[in-house]
Order: sequence, then C-alpha cells, then structure tokens
Amino acid sequence: MLTRRQTFFATTALAAFGAAGTAYAADKVIKIGVDLSLTGADSQGANRVKNAIVMAFNEANEAHAVPGHRFELLVTDDGTATAGQYDPAQAATNARKMVADREVVAAIGPQMSGAGKAMTPILSQGGLATITPSSTNPDISDPKFAEQYRPAGKPIYFRTVTTDAYQGPNMANFLAEKLKVKTVYVLDDSGAFGVGVADSFQKQAEAKGMKVLGRDRLDPKAADYTAILTKIKSLNADALYYGGVTLAGVKLAKQAYDIIPNVIKSGPDGMRSSDLLSGAGFPAVEGWYTSIAAPHLTEDTKAAKFIEAFKQRFNDSPDDYTITAYDAALVIIDAVKRVAAAGKPVTRADIRDAIQTAKVSTIQGTVSFDANGDLADRTVSVFQIKKDTSKPLTDIDAQYKYLEVAPQS
Amino acid sequence: MTTFDLLLQQTINGLSLGAMYALLALGFTLVYGILELINFSHFNVFMVGSFVALFVLQAFGLSGQEVILTGLPLFGVLLVAFIGTMLFSGALGLAIERLCLRPLRNVKGPAAMITTIGVSYILFNVILLTIGADSKNFPNPLPVIRWKLAGATLDFRVVLIWAIALLLMAALYIFVQRSRIGKAMRATAQDAEAARMMGVEVDKVIVMAFFLGSALAGAGGLIFGLYYNFTSFIIGFTAGLRAFTAAVLGGIGNVPGAMVGGVLIGLIEAMGGQFIATAWTDVIIFSILVLVLVFKPAGLFGRIAPSKS
Repeated sequence: MLTRRQTFFATTALAAFGAAGTAYAADKVIKIGVDLSLTGADSQGANRVKNAIVMAFNEANEAHAVPGHRFELLVTDDGTATAGQYDPAQAATNARKMVADREVVAAIGPQMSGAGKAMTPILSQGGLATITPSSTNPDISDPKFAEQYRPAGKPIYFRTVTTDAYQGPNMANFLAEKLKVKTVYVLDDSGAFGVGVADSFQKQAEAKGMKVLGRDRLDPKAADYTAILTKIKSLNADALYYGGVTLAGVKLAKQAYDIIPNVIKSGPDGMRSSDLLSGAGFPAVEGWYTSIAAPHLTEDTKAAKFIEAFKQRFNDSPDDYTITAYDAALVIIDAVKRVAAAGKPVTRADIRDAIQTAKVSTIQGTVSFDANGDLADRTVSVFQIKKDTSKPLTDIDAQYKYLEVAPQS
Repeated sequence: MTTFDLLLQQTINGLSLGAMYALLALGFTLVYGILELINFSHFNVFMVGSFVALFVLQAFGLSGQEVILTGLPLFGVLLVAFIGTMLFSGALGLAIERLCLRPLRNVKGPAAMITTIGVSYILFNVILLTIGADSKNFPNPLPVIRWKLAGATLDFRVVLIWAIALLLMAALYIFVQRSRIGKAMRATAQDAEAARMMGVEVDKVIVMAFFLGSALAGAGGLIFGLYYNFTSFIIGFTAGLRAFTAAVLGGIGNVPGAMVGGVLIGLIEAMGGQFIATAWTDVIIFSILVLVLVFKPAGLFGRIAPSKS
C-alpha cells in the first residue's frame, strides 16, 4: 500500500495546485477517497487511472468548479506484494480508512470486483458512495444481495461501466445478428464470473433462436480439454462461447485451434488479456471475439482532447478504463457542485443522492444510473484478435482490433 | 463424424493423456514399491520438469510456435531436451530424498509422507514466485503432420509422444527386470531386511528409485509441454492426482500395473468427456477408483511383491 508519505504527497500535490490559482485561502476542503490496485500485476492500468483522477480534480480546482470548495484526494492502494495483485483484505482496510476520515464525502474505485465485494459492506455502513471505473460483477449492485453488499439500504456502488449481466447477452446478440451463428456450444471455467457470464449468454442465445448444442464446465486446473473439444467438433457447432478467465482460457484457445480451427470462438473481457496473447500465442488466438463492458473510447473522436492532454501531462497513453475513471471523477465533481449550489453543506448522504440522480456529460456520453447504481448506458464493445506484427505480440491494444458496439438486448 | 469415428478420435485423445499419466504413475509406484511411501512431491517434480524442458528448448533458440524443426535437428534437439530434463529432474528427486526423506528414514508414522506434501508446496511456490503465475507458451518445434484415420485425425505429435512414452516404459521395465540394480530393487521391494542381509545396498536402491521416478516425471513434463504447448506452476496437481490414481488402480508398487492404469484413466477421461460431461470427469475417475479398491483392494493387477509386514 501507499506509505503515509506517498499519501501525503498525493494530497499536497493537489493542494498546491489549488492554492496556486486561488485567492480564497479559506476554501472548504472536500476529500475524495481513491482505492486502486497500484501494487502488483495491475499496477500499470492502476497508475493510469490514478493519473486520470488527479487530472480531473486538478482541472476542477483550477477552474474553481465548486466556488468556496477545494478538492483533495486520499489515495489508497489495495494491491499487496504478497497477493501479487489486489487483496480484498487490504481493500477492506482502505474502506475503513476512508469511512473513518470525516472529510471524505465520496470515493472512486476499486478496479476489481473482488475488492469491491470486500469494500461495499463497510462503505455502506459509513454512508460513503463510490464509483468504480472497471469492476463488472453484477452481484455487487444486485438488490438480491442487498443484505450483503449494501446493508445500510441505499445503493452506494455506482459504475461508469456496465456489468456482466449485459456482457454475455450482448455478445449473444452479436453472434446471432452479425455473424449469423445458428448453433453454439457454451463452456465456462467453474468460477463465479465465468459461470455467471456464460449463463446470461446462454439465456440470450436461446432467446435469439440460436440452438445451444450443449453446456459443459472446464476444470481450470486440468490441462486437457481435447475430449470436450472433440465432442464440439462432432456436433458441428458454428460457434463456441467460453465464459471465464485465462487460466483455463489459454489451454482452451490452444487446443481449440488444433481441433476446431474453423469454429467461431468468443468470450468476455476475461479473455481480453495479455496473458492469453503470451500464454496461448499466435496463431492459436487469432480470430477470437471478446468483449468489454464499456464503450471503446480511445479511438473515439470525443476522447481526442482528453487523450492529447493526458499524453502531454503523463507521457503515457490512456486505455478505456482510464477514460471511465476520468468520467467517474466528472460525476463526483458535478454532484458536489449541485449540492453546494443548493446552499447545503456537502455531506456524504447528499453527495450519494446527487450521484444517484446524476445526468452528467462526460467523455463516454451522458452518464446516469439506474436505481441500483448501475450505468444506464449498457454499451458492450466487441473486439477481435488480429495479428499485428508491427507491434509487440502481447500488446492488448495492438492485437485486439475494435469491431463495434454489440447489439443491445 | 460417425459414432465410430468419434470413438476412435476419443481413443486417440485418451491414449495421449494415458501415456502421460503412465509415466507419472511409474514414479509413484517405484518409490512406493521400495519404501511404502506415497511421494507427493512427485506432483511438482513433474511441474518443475516441464519448466526445465522449457528452458532447455529456449536455450536452443526455440520459442513460441515460430520455429519448426525436422529430421536430424529435431531429433538432436529432442534428444538433448529429454536427457537434460530427465537428468535435472532425477537430480531434483535425489536432492529431495537426501535432504528431506533420508533423515526421516527410521521415523515411524506419516512423517515422511507429510514431508513430501511440504516439499510439493515448496516447489509449487518457488516456481510461482520466481517465474510467475501466468501460463508460459511452450515451444513447439514439431512439424504439423496429420493423418486421416477413418474420420479421425491422428497427429504426428501424438504418435511421437506415444513412441517416446513406450520407449521409456520399455526401457524401465527391462532395467528393473534384467539389470543388477533392477534385481536389487525388486529384492528390496520384496523384503528390505533380507535384501540387506544378502548384501544389497538398500540406500543405493532407494536413491535409484527416486532418480528413475523423478527422471520419468521430467520426461512427462517435457511431453506435457510438447503436447499442450504451455506450462504453468499449477499443472502438477490435477495430473499428479490422476496419475497417482492410475498407480493405485493398477496396483501400487506394480510397474506394468501403473502403465495400464495410466492408459485406463486417460481413456476414462476422454470417454467421460464425450458421453457424460467434462465437469464430471473427477467424479467418474474417483468413483471407479473407489469401486476397484472396494472389490480388489490391491488394484487391478495386485502387487507383485508380497507385503513386507
């Protein structure tokens, strides 16, 4: 996690920006908690997200977006060296830290659904709303699990991406409408994410009139999937949908290339990973269709200005979830602005309500939320792996070509 | 595909799996036959073997699927890779025996077996922490040649794997049956005390059992890499457990039993995936194991050597 000194720098850097452009020394401090996976496997993306958030609040301070108020950040890190990636226990600790700081009125993060599940009970009890730029597990915001993830009642987990409840079905629409798939075989990797997204895919596939030839489950620790792939071959399936992440996905991609080379292969964002590109490699991964639970923005003209500014400032290219993080910051700034403009003190409860009713123009378009905090816009983007030898073969952005927005359910 | 083609294809799939399980099962059986010790570190000696093989092939400048070799270069590379991997894995087995098991030789109870579980986890974590959690792309220098066999496809790679596995198993069998130390191994398996009285150096026999078993696990690791084109720190557990089941199925301590048991488990896995569901593989395999043990506690072929007690 960030040392106290790093946290201090993160806060003071913003404070300095604020002070430089202002004459109002008595500005009221609005603290925003930030939780990201800055240590471990996801650090690269996490740092981009952090930079986007810092950029958004600096811009707001410079422009005096909320008169009489100044934003500061409380940055925490849920990644640990022992976990090598996000650590739910650390995420819970960070949530407690944010809740304990009375000046924190809203938060951004986490990036990972596993961290989100650990944080939400604490944030809910503390009445602190957060906006995640990238976690897609639908359970966290599902009213069915309200007792678990929002024990205090009101939704506090908002998202600037959609959920896996749309990732699966929209991919089914894409296969049916765009690729004219008639028969499909569905596999999952036995994990919560994989089973859920495969279930929702299968349901929509049937609704679209596709024939689901069968459904089976892979043991991600086993190595051999030739038996099931031979079965799929014998059934003459048009397409294969695999709900899951790369642990089983790498082996599946390899063996599928040998046994069912001509079958259309598809999966969720768990298969949009450099691990797949390095583990299975070309030519096995060529042609796989994968989705993300967000609009594809980095090649969008709407984002050009932001991307230019980001590059200039951080000497780094943003990815799609960097932009959804910037959008999350815009939503919070807007909420604070509206509460302050109404002449009310800026409290957690008022900010939560303001986020709930948000209608904010952001880079991805107008952001608003449904009654559970999920993004009203349910855009799922489809990519296809196409070898680009001019770029590193494990570079996600280079090897996954953006195709289009998947048809909505 | 007709039902016949399908059966044929799944038999081919099952035999390839079975060859790998058989090689691994031999390691369990060799050590058990002599020490009556279930060596759980064997799981991850196999896994480490696959990484050693990966590094050997990379040392030849092979990576990913780009470089294809044929003829003499292929033969040479494979020969060096097999010898290197087997020597290293064998040495790893020796180190485990010398450092962790020999000091416990005269300790009664499950201490030695628990130690092997510990060693297994150490190997697992060392690879995880030094090499990383992501799957590694394994070089595939074999040319893609496919034969049509009725409606089924037979891969050159598969035939090669069968040939190598058969060769290694035959060599082991002859070694155990004919060589001096092989005879000493069988004598020790029958009765260590009597063998020692007859002048057999039991320590040497034990060392040999660990070396041979671990070397075969290393060969299994290399075959695994060539067949699946990937390796990862996690591959030892499922393969190891199924191979151990194969050894028990054939009659643990029984060398030909381990080979047959391995092939049987491979076939069951393939046919189960076709006719029931892949999700049920473990249920099927272990149900068969339970049934065999209930009705034939010594396994299908029984132990050749009578019990020591």
